[in-house]
Amino acid sequence: MNAERKKQPENPGMRDEVSDDRQQWIRSLVERHGSPLTRYARTFTGDMESARDAVQETFLRLCREDAAKIADHCKPWLYKVCRSRALDYLRKEGRMIPVDNSLLTLNEAPGPSPSADLEKSEKVESVMQVIETLPPNQKEVVRLKFQNDLSYKEIAEVTGLSVTNVGFLLHVALKFIRKQIRGEAELMPESRGET
Amino acid sequence: MNSDDPKLTAYALGELSGEEAIEFERMLADDEGLREALKEIQETAGMVRVALGDESASILTTKEEDQMIATAIEGDEEPEAKMVRVPFYRNPAYMSLAAALVMIFGLLGLITSMSIPAYNKDKPTVHVVDTKKPRVVRHLMEPTPPPALSANELNSSRDQQFAYSTQQKVAGLDKNKSRKESGAVIEKGIRTRASLSEIESQLARGNEDSMSLTMSSEPKILPPETPISYEPITPVRDGEFNTEAYDSIEDNSFLLVEHSPLSTFSIDVDSAAYANVRRFINARQRPPKDAVRIEELVNYFPYEYALAERNEHPLKINVEAASAPWQEEHRLVRVALKGKEIDWEERPASNVVFLLDVSGSMQSQNKLPLVKQSVELLVRKFGQRDRVAIVTYAGQSRVALPSTTADNTETILHAIGNLTSGGSTLASAGIEDAYKIAEKHFVDGGNNRVILCTDGDFNVGVTNRGSLVDLIEKEANNGVYLTILGFGIGNYKDATLEELSNKGNGNYGYIDTLREARKVFVEQVAGTMVTIAKDVKIQVEFNPAKVQAYRLIGYENRRLAAQDFNDDKKDAGEIGAGHTVTAFYEVVPAGMDWEAPGVDPLKYQKPVPKLEATSSDELLTVKLRYKLPEADESTFLEEPFVDTGNAFAKASEDFRFAAGVAAFGMILRDSPYKGNSGFALVREIAEGAQGNNRGGYRSEFLHLIDQAEMVLAIKLPL
Repeated sequence: MNAERKKQPENPGMRDEVSDDRQQWIRSLVERHGSPLTRYARTFTGDMESARDAVQETFLRLCREDAAKIADHCKPWLYKVCRSRALDYLRKEGRMIPVDNSLLTLNEAPGPSPSADLEKSEKVESVMQVIETLPPNQKEVVRLKFQNDLSYKEIAEVTGLSVTNVGFLLHVALKFIRKQIRGEAELMPESRGET
Repeated sequence: MNSDDPKLTAYALGELSGEEAIEFERMLADDEGLREALKEIQETAGMVRVALGDESASILTTKEEDQMIATAIEGDEEPEAKMVRVPFYRNPAYMSLAAALVMIFGLLGLITSMSIPAYNKDKPTVHVVDTKKPRVVRHLMEPTPPPALSANELNSSRDQQFAYSTQQKVAGLDKNKSRKESGAVIEKGIRTRASLSEIESQLARGNEDSMSLTMSSEPKILPPETPISYEPITPVRDGEFNTEAYDSIEDNSFLLVEHSPLSTFSIDVDSAAYANVRRFINARQRPPKDAVRIEELVNYFPYEYALAERNEHPLKINVEAASAPWQEEHRLVRVALKGKEIDWEERPASNVVFLLDVSGSMQSQNKLPLVKQSVELLVRKFGQRDRVAIVTYAGQSRVALPSTTADNTETILHAIGNLTSGGSTLASAGIEDAYKIAEKHFVDGGNNRVILCTDGDFNVGVTNRGSLVDLIEKEANNGVYLTILGFGIGNYKDATLEELSNKGNGNYGYIDTLREARKVFVEQVAGTMVTIAKDVKIQVEFNPAKVQAYRLIGYENRRLAAQDFNDDKKDAGEIGAGHTVTAFYEVVPAGMDWEAPGVDPLKYQKPVPKLEATSSDELLTVKLRYKLPEADESTFLEEPFVDTGNAFAKASEDFRFAAGVAAFGMILRDSPYKGNSGFALVREIAEGAQGNNRGGYRSEFLHLIDQAEMVLAIKLPL
């Protein structure tokens, strides 16, 4: 790893045009958002490869943007572009691939302790299962909110929904998850919408 | 308000603006149903956050990130690269064309390959696998490649691409400008794909058909001297892409007492290797041989050795012997030290500067978040007399918390909470800042210490290891010690970290779980924080009348020359309050029929009759030198030992347990001296010595034995 990182800036003639600041900026964005974006893209594409492509293309686009213009809303911008890249891919392929659950756990680093209390992981598992049964649009806002920590407004920017819509979807989703976890009612999720 | 109003959720998620929130809280105050509903939403939101957060570990490797950055930046320089946004080669039409071309080349390749001995088993084949897709693209764009160029194109590294363009000129290929430019665009496209192909290549390993198709085109376009193998689907050994670094260790061999009656080494209280080995085994991987430092495995466990009577010396020598469980006729001699205990409340004041690595590589769950929790644990052990500061380093170093007395818990915890990771690592600047703060708040006679938490990836800029070591040594002489805590997996630099902490009079631990953090910062906090003796050296003199040969188990990188023992300028290990140090010698008794491996009888010396050497009954004498933390001159003490011929089963419980751990280490190292050691033996010993199971470490060891047996039972590929 050492060697590789060092190599990049040493390539002659290639880096002069990109200022160190900008490189640093891009680096920090990739390091911070690369993995979460890939995971997000994968919920659309269903496979790692094209998810990574979508993210790569997102960052390529980022590099052609005027940094000043997007600096204050970088995060939603990245998600928005990444989302449309991933959807482009689906459109081109002309098919919708469901997310393979086994992929979701691939490459995951182990938690803090391998023998961490089972009870907790069981609960986590069941919550994850319920989330998987949500309609796609709810699933997406839930992920953007709780996994990627975007605000309502940012989610609205990414998905093109209105802020009110986002709030409604989240509310309904949480309510459904709660009911399922409690096993109170065998409520089926609302009709599956389009993403 | 209706309890099914989305506003409830918005409030619970902190989405209401100030005024809305105030109004909402007013309503909440007089509506119990609403409060109930809010509580439920908050609970659910918490659960979802935890569940999704559980998955939030990095799914891109640092390498992939680097490639992404490189590709993105290149794209920035050359707008034409826009082309690559469209993965055109995925279009079915192109795909089939490409497949057809590949097949043609493949056939040609097969024919040609018969006469080309381009086979080199020693060279790995990563490049070949990487360029699978790029080559398809290339054939597509330029169906008649001049053979001299292709080797360069195969390699996606930039240098090679420069070479490519140079060679184009050399070869006198007449290309007009626009042609060149479009060539550049193609190259760009190739490079983009190549940079993404790392994991693809792993996925592709399972896909032999498509691979062999592409691969068989190889000989056609390769000059014969290019070292390339026909085995693209080389099975990957565990940890092939693992960049962890360990210094190599050769097991100490048996030494004849007549040649070398003295054995000298520096003590080592570190236990990082045990936690690291455990991490490997729990991840179902065989630990690299050199990651298994037996002395650190043994020293991981608490032992109840006798304390120094009176306060004459801060540490005491304990010697015990019994038969070696893995080699019945050999004796096993344990030389142990115990540092005096210090009541935590009576400890000297601390002046601690945390130096935290917050670079991108620290992002994953078992790194920075665990570092934060660890720091918090220690801060909570501290009080008003102690000072804490936090310096972070990534692209640049930053003082996240100026030196603050530790009773300002809230300020400190707030600073910890605000730490985030990002940027690349530049350790040297951070370490200088940390030392500056430590010096500024230096406490005479106190615990002045920099605690470096990192995965050891000191990877940007001029990280001059030599000058870094000099700095650390200088500061250690000035009384600021360095403790290093290693975190994380994948690119953990064990060798660097151990070396640095040794130079800095510090200790070195590996923290993989919160439990381990608790051991270092809570249970053994006095040992970690309070050094009671420094430069502790042990010299054992064996009595040739009793001992034919001996072997020091472990401490391979701590051995000293005999004359270093009395040289107070020679640096050696430190011991903290309550710390124990255990070393084992395997001894071949005198008079036993035993052949020194690899040593011919001496030509010019006649074997001296052993009994004339001395009439002592003593097996050996342990000599020890140490310095008090503030002292420059060492103090000497010694302890002669007579072996009463104990059987192993009669040895103390601590002795037996530690011997079992040493045997475990020898098995993992596949040591040539492991004798009859096997997991069954280790398990039997450990099960019979569970007495001092404080902290549950001994029972955990039983579990680790089972895991290790399973891991080692899996035959290594290749």
